[in-house]
Amino acid sequence: MGQIRRYLRIVSLLIKTGLMQQMAYRPHFVSMFAGKVIRIALLLLFFQAVFLKVDRIGSWSYDQVLLLFATFHVVDFLMSITFHRNLAFYLPQKVHSGDFDARMLLPVNLLFLSSFERIELIDFASFLPTLGFLGYVLSRLEFSFTGGQLLVYLILLANALLFLFAAVLAIASLSFWTTQSSGLARIFDSLLKVGRYPIEIFEGFWRSVFLYILPLVLIAQLPSEALLGILSPRAVLITGAMTGFLLALALLLWRAGLKQYQSASS
Amino acid sequence: MVKFWHVVRLVFLERMAYRTNLFLEVFGGILASVIVVVLWVAIFQGAGTDQVGGYSLPEMVTYLLGAGLINSFILTTAEKPEASEAIQGGDLSGILIRPMNPHIFWFARDLGNKGFYLLLGFAGYVAVLVLFQDLLLLPPGPGHLLLSLFSVGVAAVVQFFLFQILGLLSFWMENTYGIRFAARVVMEVVAGAIIPLSFFPRILHDLFLLLPFPLMIYLPMRIYLGKIPLEQVPFELGKGVIWIVFLVLLYRHLWVKGIRQYVSMGD
Repeated sequence: MGQIRRYLRIVSLLIKTGLMQQMAYRPHFVSMFAGKVIRIALLLLFFQAVFLKVDRIGSWSYDQVLLLFATFHVVDFLMSITFHRNLAFYLPQKVHSGDFDARMLLPVNLLFLSSFERIELIDFASFLPTLGFLGYVLSRLEFSFTGGQLLVYLILLANALLFLFAAVLAIASLSFWTTQSSGLARIFDSLLKVGRYPIEIFEGFWRSVFLYILPLVLIAQLPSEALLGILSPRAVLITGAMTGFLLALALLLWRAGLKQYQSASS
Repeated sequence: MVKFWHVVRLVFLERMAYRTNLFLEVFGGILASVIVVVLWVAIFQGAGTDQVGGYSLPEMVTYLLGAGLINSFILTTAEKPEASEAIQGGDLSGILIRPMNPHIFWFARDLGNKGFYLLLGFAGYVAVLVLFQDLLLLPPGPGHLLLSLFSVGVAAVVQFFLFQILGLLSFWMENTYGIRFAARVVMEVVAGAIIPLSFFPRILHDLFLLLPFPLMIYLPMRIYLGKIPLEQVPFELGKGVIWIVFLVLLYRHLWVKGIRQYVSMGD
């Protein structure tokens, strides 16, 4: 219990320092916030433009695609606020420069620090309108959902975050061997965009890849299907097992990477 | 001119130092455009018609892959704010005393970056072009091809001055990343990188055409696909030239004002 309190205090300190850093340049903060909200709005406009010309994408209607889109971006923002840049970009930079040494000496769990050292409050500010958008989409849905469906939806959102954490950690851990992994991280970012479209748009090999090998389907599609009441309990269990497997693999890579780390600083 | 090409060559050498990482980054961009192409193939299959929004499937695939290629060297280089960094970090002092005009220096560096990303992007796109070869269209004639290439050149110059202007705001602001980020976000959609602008509601389409962004992707790809009659192309390119003149004048105005209050920072 004492440990949890201690780490919660550290998180609150990280939020405070993050706020101080990012509010130091207020016009920067405001324009970044505006840019992120504009990006979501323009992507929404993209879907609206598409649905002006067609009725469905695969078997997904406009409302369902909006749910998928909003769910994806809620998960995406939660990842960006917390561990994404810390692991995907800042960790490889620190390994490359040797700044990682100083982190190793701190009396705090290294994985925790590497994952949450910088809390992105600009993304938090941009997350709130996205959450509002999700609320709007839910109010638009033509059908109602039960409390149970909502609960499974929330559990699958948490599962999606854990899955992404494992995937990003696995990629970032490679930087202990390569001293650079931002290229791989960018490829992963591009691949991640698959998650905001219905998986039905892919056929054959790629469909199998996104279902079983790199199951991006579990970021937004499975939670959305749970809310729509078309997801089987078996799929929920398989999803959890896949995330558990990837997380175990990522932690193994992280530990092996730490042993491999050779300080590069002068 | 010799100095100009030396700077371009040096940028190539700098980029080659981390070529694996860069190639992976460009590959990520290619992957993103392939995903959008796959999405559109599914949309066409679902629509059950030959044309969606005035585009056939081969036209759409050609548009999106062409847009992706232009995107890989125009939009990606928007992330290299050298003028902004020089002003903020105090390196501008060193640049000012070099025996080379700083604006030409930055233009040469931008050209080197764009050239490098273009070559890298094109190398990556060859595989994608082979993958979608049955759906790719050639331009209606050599005139369309040449004019679309020329319009990509115009686009590159417009993009350079646009982001240089945003970079010059560093004379007055400590951090211009946010503004450049917002501009890049708008540019990606309004340039037509993910969808032809004709898909948007009429009012937005007309509004977007008033901005310089559609010159970057929407115009070159429409010329390539023959969606603009050849005789109308000079008029459209003329708009690009007017934008360049306007941006150059604005850039010059900001530079003259900004350099007066420049304080060299750094050690």
